[in-house]
Amino acid sequence: MFERVVVIGAGIAGLSAVHAALPRGAEVKLIDGPPGASALAGGAVDDQPWEQVERACELLGASPVAGPVAPEIEAFVQALGVWELCRPGAPLCRLATEAGRIRLARGRDRALLDLAGLPRGARVLLPRVARPEWDADALGRALSEEPYARDHELRFEAVTATMLRLGGEERVVSAELAARHDQPARLEWLAERLRETLGLERQAERRVDAVLLGPWLGAEAPRAAALAEKLGVPVGEILSGVGSAPGQRFEAARDRMLGALGVQREARRALSVRAVEAELRIEAEGAGVALVADRLVLATGGVAGGGIRYAPPERDAGADEPPAARVPFVLSLAAPVALAAFGRRLEIVGSVHGPALDESAWPTGADPSLLECVGIACHGPVAAERIYAAGDVVADRPRTRLEAVRSGLRAGAAAAGEPGDP
Amino acid sequence: MKRSKAQPRALGPRSAETDVDVVVIGGGVNGTGVARDAAMRGLRVALLDRHDIGFGASGNSSGMIHGGPRYLTADPHVTETSCRDSGHIQAIAPHLLFRIPFLMPLARGPLSWGWMLLVDGFFQAYDHFQPLKRGKPHVRLRPDELRQLEPGLCGELQGGMAFDEWGIDGVRLCVANAIDAEERGARVLTGVTAERIERDADGAVCAVVHRDRTTGHSGRITTRTVVNASGAWAPVTASLAGLPAKTARVRPGKGIHVVFDRRLSNYAIMAYSIDGRQIFIEPWQNVSIIGTTDDDYYGDLDRVTATSEEVRYLVEGIAHVFPAVRRGRIIGTYAGVRPTLYAYGPNEDALSRDHQVVDHAEHGAAGLYSMLGGKLASYRLFAEEMTDVLGRALGVRTPCASHSSPLPGGDEALDPAALARELGIDEIAARRLVYRHGSRARRVAERVLRRPAEARRICVCEPVLEAEVRYVLGHEHARSVGDVARRTRLGLGPCGGMRCACRAGLLVADELGLDPAEGKRQALRFLTEQARTRSVGLGTEQARQEALGIAHLRAQLGLRAEGARGV
Repeated sequence: MFERVVVIGAGIAGLSAVHAALPRGAEVKLIDGPPGASALAGGAVDDQPWEQVERACELLGASPVAGPVAPEIEAFVQALGVWELCRPGAPLCRLATEAGRIRLARGRDRALLDLAGLPRGARVLLPRVARPEWDADALGRALSEEPYARDHELRFEAVTATMLRLGGEERVVSAELAARHDQPARLEWLAERLRETLGLERQAERRVDAVLLGPWLGAEAPRAAALAEKLGVPVGEILSGVGSAPGQRFEAARDRMLGALGVQREARRALSVRAVEAELRIEAEGAGVALVADRLVLATGGVAGGGIRYAPPERDAGADEPPAARVPFVLSLAAPVALAAFGRRLEIVGSVHGPALDESAWPTGADPSLLECVGIACHGPVAAERIYAAGDVVADRPRTRLEAVRSGLRAGAAAAGEPGDP
Repeated sequence: MKRSKAQPRALGPRSAETDVDVVVIGGGVNGTGVARDAAMRGLRVALLDRHDIGFGASGNSSGMIHGGPRYLTADPHVTETSCRDSGHIQAIAPHLLFRIPFLMPLARGPLSWGWMLLVDGFFQAYDHFQPLKRGKPHVRLRPDELRQLEPGLCGELQGGMAFDEWGIDGVRLCVANAIDAEERGARVLTGVTAERIERDADGAVCAVVHRDRTTGHSGRITTRTVVNASGAWAPVTASLAGLPAKTARVRPGKGIHVVFDRRLSNYAIMAYSIDGRQIFIEPWQNVSIIGTTDDDYYGDLDRVTATSEEVRYLVEGIAHVFPAVRRGRIIGTYAGVRPTLYAYGPNEDALSRDHQVVDHAEHGAAGLYSMLGGKLASYRLFAEEMTDVLGRALGVRTPCASHSSPLPGGDEALDPAALARELGIDEIAARRLVYRHGSRARRVAERVLRRPAEARRICVCEPVLEAEVRYVLGHEHARSVGDVARRTRLGLGPCGGMRCACRAGLLVADELGLDPAEGKRQALRFLTEQARTRSVGLGTEQARQEALGIAHLRAQLGLRAEGARGV
């Protein structure tokens, strides 16, 4: 079947939708607004929130082992080329975080160091680097005290090393430093400096099993493997916060993948979707003529990504009075879909000022936050007639990367006329 | 005047048989003020606070030591003492003060010219007190002048007034008093609750049993006098001595403030709420604050928070004259409970802001005193009156000198620019450091000179150096991430601690010798509590930031149902 499919949003879910729709013969257009959650997130790749996985393992007394992955998802991850998933049946990844924790993950950005791969009693070095986000000594102490590190006798130790080459590199944002390591000569220079440090360690007959660095290993592609090969020990990044190198690497990989698929990403903000007879008309910023599609995939992201906006009525009020009551969350474009959260349709609040988020804006106990749950009410991938939704824009689904891939592939396949279920 | 109703009874001279001469319960401005004054007069002092220094009303005030023009008609002596004492505070802690010029716009309407004359006359009377606090006389402004000064004002204006007040960081004031007391020999215990005030066969106070709320360690301090300076908790504290709560009754009045990112206005602006109450927006340090409410409070004093309903009440009131406030970004809210003098009947705003010392000898508990009421601006005077009572009871005749001897850091002005050059830090960070610590910023600087790595900025929004975090942990009785935030404003800026709380937690653990997991738990608790203070005032962009923040925290620390047990 040949369909004209428009995908809105070029994050993980939108990219997956394109990836699924193309081979099914659809003619795909991709339009994309400003960077969303995929471009901002760190390098952990999960299917379910990792805290839930950890808790389930504790309750069952089971060791955390990777479950099976649908072959479509596996194929997508392969094609993207920057992530590594744990093999089914193998232990889950263990990632060190900038906050000083060691956490589970179903997979990771390839630049991140997987501690689960290290032998018992391993000694991991953290070079001291004069950068604001990096306190090797404090991190080393915190990581060494983590339950996983104690169980596996992992030791994290700060060492003196040279990592910064140019003046001012103490202050550049970490993503910029990561980009500098895309240059082969600079990566070789870094390898040389780390070799000196490792040499001193070996002279003193101290074992070195891995080197843990900040989010500095490449912006175009993960450079950790190349560096590890030069050094002969595993080298990798720590799991960093919002707005660092893993997000950049995702964007670079996405653009390569779209290039290979021959799909152009139009950087325009979508404004509205209208159903006109059997077609959908999509208005976008800066375009005279509306895009016409048979099917649409909305992959615009949730509240975090900017696809859903919190818009209490009081915001637009004048000096003296609030405007009329309205539903306090809106999709970032006008579309004939309904929003829901916690399994219920969103409705007008009984106040012209807006809702009271006092208790619901932040997670309480096991309950997720309203901001994490609000999204388009869907039946499977279907949001409305001929409109599908994927990723964080879907109500009440986990905000994880593999969930975005799963729902993106399903929505893309469905939009192309094949209700596949990966 | 009903001040200092207590007729001091002599308890006889001080005795070496007790551990201390006085136990002060409550680390707010009154408690730390008394501890300092008593220590200056040679008394042996122990100061306890259930939470932290400046945890209650003192640290959650409007951040002004204003003269209280509001009280001029009903309580003129409150205005006078506030102005006079505000002048003294300026002399002893000049580094903590900053001028806040106020505008009071008056709307045009029938008879508004007459109202203008009245207000003018009122401020002429207030001008009389201004020299006491080095304030400037008021200025009458035409509508065009008002708009030139503050282009964001809306509506038809008749004209307005400009007058002058002083801003202060209430927590820093409390900390400075507590540290000075300690350096003069007082014992300062934070996070330590009084469990029982023991009395002897005659009913007189003989000891205070206390417990550290973190470690669980208990202790007993023998003393013949106890000062209940626990603010709104005063009746709770009186109960610990077996007295009926009504002997230290207050009318607890909850007040909230909303904090906006950046300074939204050039000047502080007075406005009227929908029910005719005076409210204001003020540029304060690097933020804008709107305040305040005053409502009878019956809830738990240990967890007082603003609600979205209260936030809206204030925002609507300010938007009435300054609509830009709607587009401002709320980065937090805070709430405190005033220990106003008890009266049944009057509306909250009509209550007296006076203060009073109660000698509980009249209730059969000799040696126990309660400090009720009071204002930040006249805390020193209240502390002096309380210490006079103690002095007479214990036979100590040393006169008060708390108005002439500088608080720690207030003795000498440091040049932030020179400090910035010397330490290789930026000038803003140096200025903030000097603001908070005065000449004591030198001590933080010396840490950096010894260990240059401590020049690292832990908090980016409110530049806080690692050296300062370690300094407040080592020398200012901070015991948690929240305590560090209270003293340094770490994590109270636009990022809400997302970038700094975890690292601060690791520093707390390191400096205090705790398990790093405890540092992470504290960071998570701080972040969660801060997030809740923002939830009540979310706007569009803030909601997105909040969602990203939740995702970030889930990824980095994990948000576990059982309060991050796994951490």
